Amino acid sequence: MFRFLLHRGGQALVAAFGVVTLVFFIQRLAGDPTALLLPETATQADIESMRTSLGLDRALWVQYLDFLSDVVRLDLGQSFVQNAPVLEIILSRLPQTLQLAAGALVVALAIGMPLGLLMALTRGRLVSRWIMGVVLACQSMPTFWSGIMMILVFGVWLKWLPPSGTGTLAHLVMPSIALGLLSLATYARIVRSAVIDELGKDYVRSARARGVGTGRLVKHHLLRNSLIPVISITALELSQLLAGAVIVETVFAWPGLGLLTVQSIASRDFLVVQAVVLIGAFVTIGANLAADILYSVVDPRVRLTEPS
Amino acid sequence: MARSMSLVRTGLSWWPALLLATLVLFAVFAPWIVPVDPDRQNLLGRLKPPGFEARGHVFWLGSDELGRDVLSRLIYGARVSISVAFLSVALSGVVGVSVGMLAGYLRGTVETVLMRLVDIFLSIPAILLAIITVAVLGPGFINVILVLALTRWPRYARVAYGQTLALADRPFVTLARAMGASTPRVLFTHILPNIAGPLLVVATLEFGLMVLFEAGLSFLGLGVQPPTASWGSMLSTGRSYVASAWWIATFAGLALFLLVLSANLIGDRLSDQIGKGR
Amino acid sequence: MNHVAKGLLTGITLGVLSMPALARDITIDLVGEPSSLDPQVQWNPDSYYVYRNVFDNLVTRDNEGVIVPQIATDWEQTGDTELTLSLRDDVSFHDGEKLSAEDVVFSVKRITDPEFGSPQLGQFNQITNAEVIDDVTVKLTTDGPYPALLSQLVKLSIVPKHVVEEVGKEAFNTAPVGSGPYKFEEWKRGVSVTLSRNEDYWGQAGPFDNAIYRAVPDSATRVANLQAGSADLVVSINSDATLQLQGVDGVQVLSAPTERVAYLGMNLDKPPFNDPDMRKAASLAIDIEGITQGLLGAGEIPVAQLASPAHFGYADGIEPFVYDPEAAKKLTAAKADLAATPANFATAPVFDQRVVQALQQMLNDVGFNVSISVTDMPTYLNIVRSEPADNAELSFGRWSCACQDADGITYPLLHSESLWSRVNEPEFDVLLDSARVSLDKSVREEAYRKVHEMNREQVLALPLYQAAVLYGASSKLSFVPTANESMFLNRMTWSD
Repeated sequence: MFRFLLHRGGQALVAAFGVVTLVFFIQRLAGDPTALLLPETATQADIESMRTSLGLDRALWVQYLDFLSDVVRLDLGQSFVQNAPVLEIILSRLPQTLQLAAGALVVALAIGMPLGLLMALTRGRLVSRWIMGVVLACQSMPTFWSGIMMILVFGVWLKWLPPSGTGTLAHLVMPSIALGLLSLATYARIVRSAVIDELGKDYVRSARARGVGTGRLVKHHLLRNSLIPVISITALELSQLLAGAVIVETVFAWPGLGLLTVQSIASRDFLVVQAVVLIGAFVTIGANLAADILYSVVDPRVRLTEPS
Repeated sequence: MARSMSLVRTGLSWWPALLLATLVLFAVFAPWIVPVDPDRQNLLGRLKPPGFEARGHVFWLGSDELGRDVLSRLIYGARVSISVAFLSVALSGVVGVSVGMLAGYLRGTVETVLMRLVDIFLSIPAILLAIITVAVLGPGFINVILVLALTRWPRYARVAYGQTLALADRPFVTLARAMGASTPRVLFTHILPNIAGPLLVVATLEFGLMVLFEAGLSFLGLGVQPPTASWGSMLSTGRSYVASAWWIATFAGLALFLLVLSANLIGDRLSDQIGKGR
Repeated sequence: MNHVAKGLLTGITLGVLSMPALARDITIDLVGEPSSLDPQVQWNPDSYYVYRNVFDNLVTRDNEGVIVPQIATDWEQTGDTELTLSLRDDVSFHDGEKLSAEDVVFSVKRITDPEFGSPQLGQFNQITNAEVIDDVTVKLTTDGPYPALLSQLVKLSIVPKHVVEEVGKEAFNTAPVGSGPYKFEEWKRGVSVTLSRNEDYWGQAGPFDNAIYRAVPDSATRVANLQAGSADLVVSINSDATLQLQGVDGVQVLSAPTERVAYLGMNLDKPPFNDPDMRKAASLAIDIEGITQGLLGAGEIPVAQLASPAHFGYADGIEPFVYDPEAAKKLTAAKADLAATPANFATAPVFDQRVVQALQQMLNDVGFNVSISVTDMPTYLNIVRSEPADNAELSFGRWSCACQDADGITYPLLHSESLWSRVNEPEFDVLLDSARVSLDKSVREEAYRKVHEMNREQVLALPLYQAAVLYGASSKLSFVPTANESMFLNRMTWSD
């Protein structure tokens, strides 16, 4: 187990290094931030001097080595656009991102799991198909559309919820639903198949033969056993939720990392992009690793590939 | 009673396919069935409601923000939305499945390198790839497909990898290898047919997702170029007109919804079937 | 479960309570967060809206666009290259310290120091020296006669020397101290910036206790916020959004022509627009009235010169372009192959895509072969500033020099030395150079008239219209939008 962790941890570091290197170079293919920082009337000399003051006139490999040595010292640098330390910017966005991911997860779990259970219990019946249809329908709409519709209905017409922004729990409701709906079907499907598996097992049959009611059965056995795959998939979903919130955050003016990513890519704020990607890479790779470990803990039959 | 129930049930399972087929037909025959040129503007007839008549032509689904016929754009939009989704699924599928099979079959260094590459691509924000592709290669139909394929191939690679791993030690594979079959031969004649099922499920679900992604790219200003209509672009401009000209977004949204839903339902059905087969 | 429900309920109540209608606060939805609140280290409209209320400038423009005193009460051109300004003596910064001539000189020297790296350096680097004459007098020296100096000084914010020197660049940016009608209160990064009223302001005080600026990137969401009453003023909406706001109680749409000139840039080194006949055809093909009235309808004014009535150097009586597609077709038919050369039309999402698509259609209707290429803003800027060979054949832009002087638009677009210009005509250079350095208004006006006439004839860049700005606002707010898109809180009023 320890060797496995060390091995995979090492690989994760290599992958994170790869991501950051790749991002460092490819984003520089797409121009630099100077044009956007200067007024339209700027001359070539103005642009050059801005480039110099941002350190962008140095050779690419010098900038790269500089960046690497900063990262090793945990210094993420200074944002070109926002004139603030990158770390400070990211830390200010992190709470919102975590809130939104948690909210979305709650929505997906709280709706997806019961629906999955219901589908398993009504398997083969028409109602099961309809539930699946509804679940799939939930993720058949672009979020930029469902988002604005929610804003108009619940924020503008009914005035139940604040249309956008952050600050209170009420602000979190709509973005969480918009984002959570995307993961809902995953959970519904997983719980369904897990419960169906359990239903076929001997202990369930004998319990049923003893006259144990469905409610009791669900409460004591089915849910608990089907939680296992749910936990392991959550690790993967979480990294998706952290990364996939770009459009939801844009529509709801939710100042999380997703919005920061788009805005900093759009303004070529290189160091912020690099930092976001670095953190994202650790989260994704870490989540994958966690999922692998969870699988093996939960189900010893899954073998962890050790280095030969 | 039982008979009619089963009819309903089978009915439910074929309608997504029928719907998908209908939408594809619309896309294929678009030039012959559209009432007018979908890009024809009329600045004097902007944002007119369904049924509006101008220049001897009835705008059955109304006109958009430049006075273009929403019905014609909807029909032409089917072409872009469906072909972008189809081609990006095909491209990412071919790349991803090849990578995944190679990694799972050859193991060792190839496996490590390829699967770490998959990890790397999974961790790059899709939006970053999209913006850079457009910045470097320019915008357009082909590049939208490229962007989608670039961001999605790792999903196929993962599934193909896992499935191949499970098959690689099976007797029929080891036997074929022992008999001197080349790697491509083993991969394509022995492994691929056996892992096609789960991959098809992924591809179907991805198809729906790609339709949504194309729409998302349009929303972020990185989609197909105007004035070309796609359902995504109609929806993303139309969303600003929901309260004043609901018809622009509603019909495109409905079409897109039905397309994605039918792909999802087919995918769900397929995965059930495959699950039963095992 | 109960906890969650309770939490939700409190959340909702809090949400309702936090809506701004109760207090005399104003919530303003911008597109993005201010990138910086140090007025000298940024060039970004979202910052501009906010920090202009925190700082005073030497001079300012009133709602009609006339340059009027602010910190400087009076000014005099004391030589061809010298401007002497008298200052108010009753102005204090928010920390209570008096604003002095030292601070003015410090501010000028700070922004013109190349080491400092201000994005606005190019607008002020003609100032070579600033000196304190006495407590209430400063003298600015320029490297040559510089007629647009006062127009530039409208944007020169006065920062407190003692604070900047004490806290440094980075800290000043996050907690700026100015002398303006509003004080910086709080910056929740990524969320909002809050300003509060400066009760000791020397001039007219603002009507709001607090002003909260939020970043709301999606325009549909900004409109929804206004409709729901959670925002009192929203920026950057398009004229079709006003359709949604029509008949909504308590909401109004405000608009004003700006100093932005929309134009079609043409690549003079590449076919088809290297040919004067083709440029002529393009000018005949475009129905500018159709665009300004049929499509935009927010008070845009067609222009046939690279200047608007809001600019010094706008010439009356320049003939508007004639819309005559038949004549255009005759010109293109004479060189049909040339006209049909594929032409790329570079644009970015920030520009109104309706206008871009309408232009494309109009050009293609007379026989051109134009296709649109939308890229993000940095890519677009790279394309339009690149060498002619790599440049797009066409580009759409809305030029703003933030100076309301024809120099700020004709020079960059028509002078051979400019990065933007694809023009290489000595005659234009001579006129533009002379207008740039002459202190005689009539000489300048005459030179610009000549430039406009020549461009009207040769169509080196095709001016389209003076763009308008649109704001959505609560009907309780009165606010006069101005050509330079300022948003001064102390010029607004609120009536319950």
